Amino acid sequence: MLEIKSLTAQVEEDGKQILKGIDITVRPGEVHAIMGPNGSGKSTLANVIAGREDYEVTGGTMTLNGEDLLEMDPDERAHEGVFMAFQYPVEIPGVSNTYFLRAAVNARRKAKGEEEISAMNFMKMIRDKIKLLDLSDDLLTRSVNEGFSGGEKKRNEVFQMAVIEPTLCVLDETDSGLDIDALKTVADGVNALRSPDRMFVVVTHYQRLLNYIVPDYVHILKDGKLVKSGGKELALELEEKGYGWLDEETAAAK
Amino acid sequence: MSTLTYESDFSSVVSGARPLPVSKAAAELRARGLEAFNTQGLPTPKQEEWKYFPLRSIADRSWQPGESGPAVFEEDLTWMAEDGLKVVMVNGQLDRNLSDLSAVKGLHCGSLASAYVEFPDLVEPLIGSIADIDNNPFAALNTALFHDGVFIRVEKGAMIEQTIEIVHVSTGDNQVFAPRIFILAEEGCSAKIVERWQTDGSSKSLTIPVVEAKVRERAVIEHIRIQDEALDSCHIGLWESDQAADSEYKAYNIAFGAEQARLDQNMMIGGEHAVARLDGVVCAHKNQIIDNHTKLDHAVPNCNSFEIYKQVIDDKASVVFNGKIFVHLDAQKTDAVQTNQALLLSPDTTINSKPQLEIFADDVKCTHGATVGQIDEDQRFYMMQRGISAEEAEGLLVYAFAAEVLELISIESVKKALEARLYDKLN
Ligand SMILES: Nc1ncnc2c1ncn2[C@@H]1O[C@H](COP(=O)(O)OP(=O)(O)O)[C@@H](O)[C@H]1O
Ligand SMILES: [Mg+2]
Repeated sequence: MLEIKSLTAQVEEDGKQILKGIDITVRPGEVHAIMGPNGSGKSTLANVIAGREDYEVTGGTMTLNGEDLLEMDPDERAHEGVFMAFQYPVEIPGVSNTYFLRAAVNARRKAKGEEEISAMNFMKMIRDKIKLLDLSDDLLTRSVNEGFSGGEKKRNEVFQMAVIEPTLCVLDETDSGLDIDALKTVADGVNALRSPDRMFVVVTHYQRLLNYIVPDYVHILKDGKLVKSGGKELALELEEKGYGWLDEETAAAK
Repeated sequence: MSTLTYESDFSSVVSGARPLPVSKAAAELRARGLEAFNTQGLPTPKQEEWKYFPLRSIADRSWQPGESGPAVFEEDLTWMAEDGLKVVMVNGQLDRNLSDLSAVKGLHCGSLASAYVEFPDLVEPLIGSIADIDNNPFAALNTALFHDGVFIRVEKGAMIEQTIEIVHVSTGDNQVFAPRIFILAEEGCSAKIVERWQTDGSSKSLTIPVVEAKVRERAVIEHIRIQDEALDSCHIGLWESDQAADSEYKAYNIAFGAEQARLDQNMMIGGEHAVARLDGVVCAHKNQIIDNHTKLDHAVPNCNSFEIYKQVIDDKASVVFNGKIFVHLDAQKTDAVQTNQALLLSPDTTINSKPQLEIFADDVKCTHGATVGQIDEDQRFYMMQRGISAEEAEGLLVYAFAAEVLELISIESVKKALEARLYDKLN
């Protein structure tokens, strides 16, 4: 279970406050969607869960299965099962995708006291999973994300997720820039991973993705606060009325 | 008052030089070396070429002549090339017991001193014919002291499959070692040579090798120099080559070791349609000072040269790169590419890099570029998010940085050994 309580965070560099008190609880098997206008803090929330040092957590708590995530470095969080599909996947020239993924898988195994995976078993596993994401085999030998198209990068994130098999998957706008076919492929990849003990936090700007990855809960983030939560119908309502609707709501509440 | 040379006293080193091969030519060469050394002295930082490589502490120390030194045992040696020919020098002298000089058709590889005796007519005019000792005091000192080393001859048309791996081990404190290596690659031959400079544990020695390579028409040579001495030694070398037409000489300089290390690498392309590579991987940490001066002479038309230097610098280390490319008036249609890049792993490092292209021909393609950067935080975070530790992420990124050069090495076992060594050094 992921429990986030009264979480506040600011930009490390300039002290600008971005998250202004977030409360969210994700139980095993659940999919939570986080929607909100550009600049509302969605990526910041995803990055704070993953432990990016650019942000300083100034208050609140965040635990995964009872373990304090805020005490952990990003790699330790990954060992606990945290995975983030990046909004902007990073290119790493000179490091092959396969080598990188194997290092990631082995680092996690090592942390759990397990033996390294053999090269043969690893190759077998990734070949099975790469088909799932409809990516071509030659992406495996290429450098991480280097020269990948926008769509390939996003699919590569979900492919890595499928290989690493995390317990908490945070997807940051994995749908942006995808055409409808690629969107379906990505959604199929995510849905194949859904299981009773896996948690998903799906960050998106548009409702479109949620037709394919159907959420249990939808939260709306605005100016660093969750201003509304509900079921999947909330996403549709938002789609229909637009983000402006929220302003009217908040104004009316005053 | 500005002095251009330090007071230094190498007289006991010179008077204690080990016996020469019985050869009038060798004796004359030695005398010429001493004269050149006395003329030059040890440069102060006022001399442009030595600006960032302080010689004061070397000048101030009281150096002893190199001795044959304590025994080095077979089990102390490691080899990088798989199934290579093994050539071992200890303290400047070929060690026959440790070397495995099995006869290979088309190849002679053995002691330089013996070569003077065995084939004087071949050797005498070659040794010293390539190295410029008038513009390098340590090469002059080497010449004043020289007594042995390795002589390699790859015969015309011979294709040597086995890698020739030469390991030099320095063992004595406060001693000066002055080995020489000469490589004669005859017409149309091919060979791969690995040359390694090591110490036996810690060694407060000064090793000043001179390596000369004569690459004749159509010869194809891959030559990897790996300097990985202990961090209390000093290493100052000269590597000079002379290439004939249609030849290909790939010279890789891997500089990891020594407290103070300097290499002057001079390549002369003197025949048309020749290809030269001079690439480097430098990895300096702690208080190391590693200085590489390269000089490439395009003397004739229609030749290509490629130079990539990758420099990884950590802690308080200081690295110098000076890359001269001279394209002579006649050298039309020259294609020369130089890049040098530094990756700084700590805020206290120093890098001085100076590309120096002097182009006298008008129809040429010459480019150069230099960059200095740090570990990319986004890349580091991306890797850590996937579970890779900060150290391993850094190691991978450094490896990726150096890979552009290491990947060029065609000897798989040597490439793997270097990758492992680089990774080791940084962790
Ligand atoms: N590293 C940073 N440095 C400075 N400002 C930042 C940084 N990260 C985010 N911000 C600012 O915080 C706000 C929220 O950004 P972000 O979390 O990326 O929003 P979203 O993902 O919802 O579009 C924006 O105003 C953005 O400019
Ligand atoms: Mg965002």
